[in-house]
Amino acid sequence: MKKKFPLTPILFLLPSVFFLAVFIYIPLVQNFYNSFFDFNVFSNSKEFVGLAQIKKLFQDDIVMVSIMNNFKYAIISVIFQIFFALILASILEDKLFRKVAPTLRVIYFIPVMISISVIALLFSFIYNPQMGLLNSFLELVGLDTWARPWLGDSTSAIYSVIAMSQWQSIGLITMLFIVAIQKIPNELYEAADIDGAGRIRKFFSVTLPQVKETMFVNLLITVTGSILVFNEPFILTNGGPGNSSMTLAVHMYQTGFSRDNMGYASTIATLTFLLSAIFALIQIKVSKTGKED
Amino acid sequence: MKKRIGCLIVVLLLTGILAACGSNSSNEAESSGDEVVIDFFHRWPNEPRKSFYDQKIKEFEEANPNVKINVDSVLNDSYKEKVRVLVSNDDLPDIFSSWSDTFAENLVSSGRIKPLTDLIESDSDWSGKIIESQYEGFTFDDTTYGIPFTIDGKAFFYNKEIFEEVGVDAPETYDEFIEVLDELQAAGYETPLVEGLTDAWAISHYMGTIFHRVVEPEILAQDYNPETAAFTDESYIKGLEIFQELTTYMGEVSTAIDHEAARNMFSAGEVPVLYMQFAEILMVEDAGDVDFGFFNFPEVTDGNGSADSLTGAPEGWMLSENAPKEAEEFLKFLTSEETAAEFTEVDGQLNAIEGGVTEENANPTSYEAYQIVLDSSETAPWFDNAVDITTADIFMRGGQDLAIGQTTPEQIIEEVQSQVAN
Repeated sequence: MKKKFPLTPILFLLPSVFFLAVFIYIPLVQNFYNSFFDFNVFSNSKEFVGLAQIKKLFQDDIVMVSIMNNFKYAIISVIFQIFFALILASILEDKLFRKVAPTLRVIYFIPVMISISVIALLFSFIYNPQMGLLNSFLELVGLDTWARPWLGDSTSAIYSVIAMSQWQSIGLITMLFIVAIQKIPNELYEAADIDGAGRIRKFFSVTLPQVKETMFVNLLITVTGSILVFNEPFILTNGGPGNSSMTLAVHMYQTGFSRDNMGYASTIATLTFLLSAIFALIQIKVSKTGKED
Repeated sequence: MKKRIGCLIVVLLLTGILAACGSNSSNEAESSGDEVVIDFFHRWPNEPRKSFYDQKIKEFEEANPNVKINVDSVLNDSYKEKVRVLVSNDDLPDIFSSWSDTFAENLVSSGRIKPLTDLIESDSDWSGKIIESQYEGFTFDDTTYGIPFTIDGKAFFYNKEIFEEVGVDAPETYDEFIEVLDELQAAGYETPLVEGLTDAWAISHYMGTIFHRVVEPEILAQDYNPETAAFTDESYIKGLEIFQELTTYMGEVSTAIDHEAARNMFSAGEVPVLYMQFAEILMVEDAGDVDFGFFNFPEVTDGNGSADSLTGAPEGWMLSENAPKEAEEFLKFLTSEETAAEFTEVDGQLNAIEGGVTEENANPTSYEAYQIVLDSSETAPWFDNAVDITTADIFMRGGQDLAIGQTTPEQIIEEVQSQVAN
């Protein structure tokens, strides 16, 4: 008997495919197409310029600064959000902290739920050079020489922005690790206990290998997030002073909407897409996800 | 059976989506009967102007019962973005506010803005009241596309008490200005001059004025035109050096604060000098209790430009190409002498309507500023509206970099030159 082709599940998938196509795939293709044209929102027609904008992309100093900043973002985020969050999660799951863990989990998670605009405003008060908490604190403990206009100094601006992101996102990643750690069968820890393993040994020999899969997912979230980052630098510094805290997304936005160059903004968007796609592919390849061993 | 239900659900879902996509076209025939709907878009969702315009809309609707006005408003930078999006399709509101010069020119280039020359000529009772010189920023190829309303000027506001205490006077030349700043610094005011350099436009206001002082007018006119811009003149470097010198008096603080914070510092009497717009007079008065006067950006003695031009450009109203006749009436109503007089009282910003600003309805400081605007021999446009925005952006970001010592005037000019060459 010939097996009947299952039509129903495909029909059920159609609406979501339709939405994905309309809101993701078609804009993506259109963006790629737009990057070969020179136009702004006022113009009635698009002028075909071929590869000129891609050439411009390679000569654009701001793009280089942005990529460097995005990389700084990615590296620092991986260090803080993957390693730190994992350590935090395993501490919270430790027997010693059983009683206070639920409270602490909430405390760490609260920043994730606050709107990024609110957080950015909050941090602009913290970083304020005249009456900001950070400088006042440094003065209080006698480190006045460290005080500086955090967001107004070209060397510290991008790091100040990154620091805020770490504070905000560590809660989410910790939460994901906690869930993963809770899934680890207790027998493994018991066996380790019998073998006489201490806390640190258990962390490296049981916890770490068991959360590998979650770690990969978090790595993906963090790295692609760092390449696409927009809100934080846009609200805190708008890429300034000069271009010192510019990221690709902010550069794209300003090119398109402030500098009226939609075509070139599309080119930058394509570059951003390619970068995040490449990173995602590398990570999927390296970690061979889905094949749990 | 199951399958059929499945199919039905899918079909329903899809029709829902498709219907949602297509429902846009049905609201064309909104103005049923004799009722005329006017879409009104302005950029003051904040007080006191929001209430002022809400009140005006009510008055106009009462006087013209067949007219209904839909109003929408968003703040400054968002307004710029939203108008750009609206002008790129046919949703442009019937009447909306606009800046002059390049901003207006860009809108006009879309071909969706109504030329107003005929309207101005047909009703001289109304148009004759508008100060002639203010039309300039809205006139392109001899056709006027906008009606100017608010006018403005930029000047150094100074704290009279501090100046008296230190024993300095308002400077006449740039060299004197530097001396004054030095003396203030010596008297304990570590940052005698402050600016919110995170606001790029604040930098552009400085640069626009400085270039007007040091660059020959013909060269400036040539460089302000995107077709002929070259920026090869040596005086631009001198201009940027002047800006750089001024930033040395602003202290580290300036690169991390915005203009509003700087204004509050001035209002609190912490800072003796600040470069501000006349539109800010009321805000300074509301925020603090300082006795202040103003002086124009002083003459640069060895500069090739105009010694006393005043930077500042009007803002006004535009109509979309398809605006109904009633929108024209509404425009006249908004720019009438009565509205203008009331506006001065409520808002305090100066306006371009004769009889709109008088000694009775304006406060003394504003009136003094009004005289300065009227008397100025020549006005300079806002720099970010005068040149191509990409060029302005290089100057503005370069200005931030200059303030923190990350670049040199030569590097900025080089970047500008390669930009305009493209």
